[in-house]
Amino acid sequence: MLKFNGFQKVLAWIFLLLLAFANLYPIGIMMLSSFKSTKEIFLEPFNLPSVWRWQNYVSAWQRADFATYFKNSVLVTALSIVSIIIVSSMAAYVIARFDFKFKRGVYLYMLAGLALPTRLAIIPIFLIMRNLHLLDKLSGLVIVYTASGIAFSVFLLVNFFKNLPRDIEDSAKIDGAGPFRIYWQIDLPLLKPALVTVAMFNFIDVWNDFFFPLILLSSKAKKTVPLGLQAFFGEYTVEWDVLFAALNISVLPILIVFLILSKQFIAGLTEGALK
Amino acid sequence: MRKYSFLWMLLPAFILYSVFIAYPFFSSLGLSFYDWPGIGPKKFIGLANYKNILSGFMSSEFYNALWHNVVFFIWSLILSVVPGLFFAFLLAANMKGTGWLKVVFFFPNTLAIVVVGFLWGLLLNPQWGLINQLFRVVGLDFLAKPWLGDTKTALPTIIFVTAWRGLGFYILIYLAAILGVDREMIEAARIDGASELQIASRIILPHLYSIIATTSMLKFIWTFNIFDIVYAMEGTQGGPAGSTDVLGTLFYRIAFGGLGASQVGMGLGATVVTLIFLIVLPVSIFYVFIVEKRVEKGE
Repeated sequence: MLKFNGFQKVLAWIFLLLLAFANLYPIGIMMLSSFKSTKEIFLEPFNLPSVWRWQNYVSAWQRADFATYFKNSVLVTALSIVSIIIVSSMAAYVIARFDFKFKRGVYLYMLAGLALPTRLAIIPIFLIMRNLHLLDKLSGLVIVYTASGIAFSVFLLVNFFKNLPRDIEDSAKIDGAGPFRIYWQIDLPLLKPALVTVAMFNFIDVWNDFFFPLILLSSKAKKTVPLGLQAFFGEYTVEWDVLFAALNISVLPILIVFLILSKQFIAGLTEGALK
Repeated sequence: MRKYSFLWMLLPAFILYSVFIAYPFFSSLGLSFYDWPGIGPKKFIGLANYKNILSGFMSSEFYNALWHNVVFFIWSLILSVVPGLFFAFLLAANMKGTGWLKVVFFFPNTLAIVVVGFLWGLLLNPQWGLINQLFRVVGLDFLAKPWLGDTKTALPTIIFVTAWRGLGFYILIYLAAILGVDREMIEAARIDGASELQIASRIILPHLYSIIATTSMLKFIWTFNIFDIVYAMEGTQGGPAGSTDVLGTLFYRIAFGGLGASQVGMGLGATVVTLIFLIVLPVSIFYVFIVEKRVEKGE
């Protein structure tokens, strides 16, 4: 779009590289520090580790009971993503494909969830969960995440549904297929790339969430990774070697998923946000 | 009725959304008229909660936190729009080898806010943190100070860290908007002798106003979600001396206790929520209509 001459190109590169450095340096430091001893982190902050101490990870993993936190986080995240996708894609299908009274109203009502600070709803959510005996239960979290992921996911998926070709559907209809079968057997498989996008966004949101577990969970055995990390930081304030290792452990799953899917991710982000 | 047999597929989403997102906002309004610690009988007290918060014993704490949200919003808006547009324009030149930069710029966004908070908390440690050591090494000793421990610098520091995490998101959104501008128009201007700066400012920028407006509205709404970063870097009290307290942390202390809450009450907490809701609602409604209109137009 814009065309830079030689000098402008050099200048642009300098700024771009500076920002890249500002983005990567703190993360690089986090990774390098996790292999040092605390003393080394304090006294040689800029150097590479003299010895790569993998035992920091072993020690953080054991002391913080990360095995439990990971199991909980994986369970909650996986179940939430699956239920968000099922529930939202069905709703998006109905909104994109059928006409009925109040359709526009229903759609606007669900869109409103995009523009609400959902955390503010926490008091009634807490009370509902208490009445349902779902406090301190992972299933309670899954329900809350499913509900809060609906607005964005329906919004994205409605747009994708509208772009699907209708002729296959029409011929299926002639063959007598009902709405659910058309949705399940014809549209969903075509929608796979969109579903990946929705899954990724919700993965990041749910995996990283700190607020809902903080309010809804109480026992140590139920903690998710961010909440466990917080407890760990409260306990081991001076042992920076294990603190850095713990940070890295919590980041690793996101890092892997993001690096594998970054292209789809960025495409999905810009597509969704521009609509 | 068979004609509407497809509607059941809408129901799970509709019900979940209604019960756990929509209803709680209205339910908060109802609770705000009661004095209720969370268990036992509720006591109706009319508008007393509102009085306490707006002009009574909670008012200084409330306005202090509200002010910090306003400051937070204004500064993080500036820190996202200005550098966001700048870097988006640089990337829009489509220079060879810039593809990986998008991934790098976006990466901090994928980190949990608490992780970012803890990481920067360590980096900003007055004694052993890397930032101050860096300042000392390059001879800027006067900048080596307890950034998070000083009432003057704590909030700006948190705003900066938040901007550090969020910038890439805005760069990518603005970049996509720039790339969506009609190429022929740009070419025509170029043939007419317009400089690249003129093309960027006079031709492309006006096309970005609507996306800047919608991202700003979302930013405004999300400002009231701010909680994790303050919690991770300064604790539930929004220290030092309340200088980083925001409505999120204030509301958390009121509704769910925690050390040093001056008052615990679900009713009082719901009142704070209702007040925030009143501030946010007009923007939310406006946003939803704009987005819906744009989607309709796009079809």
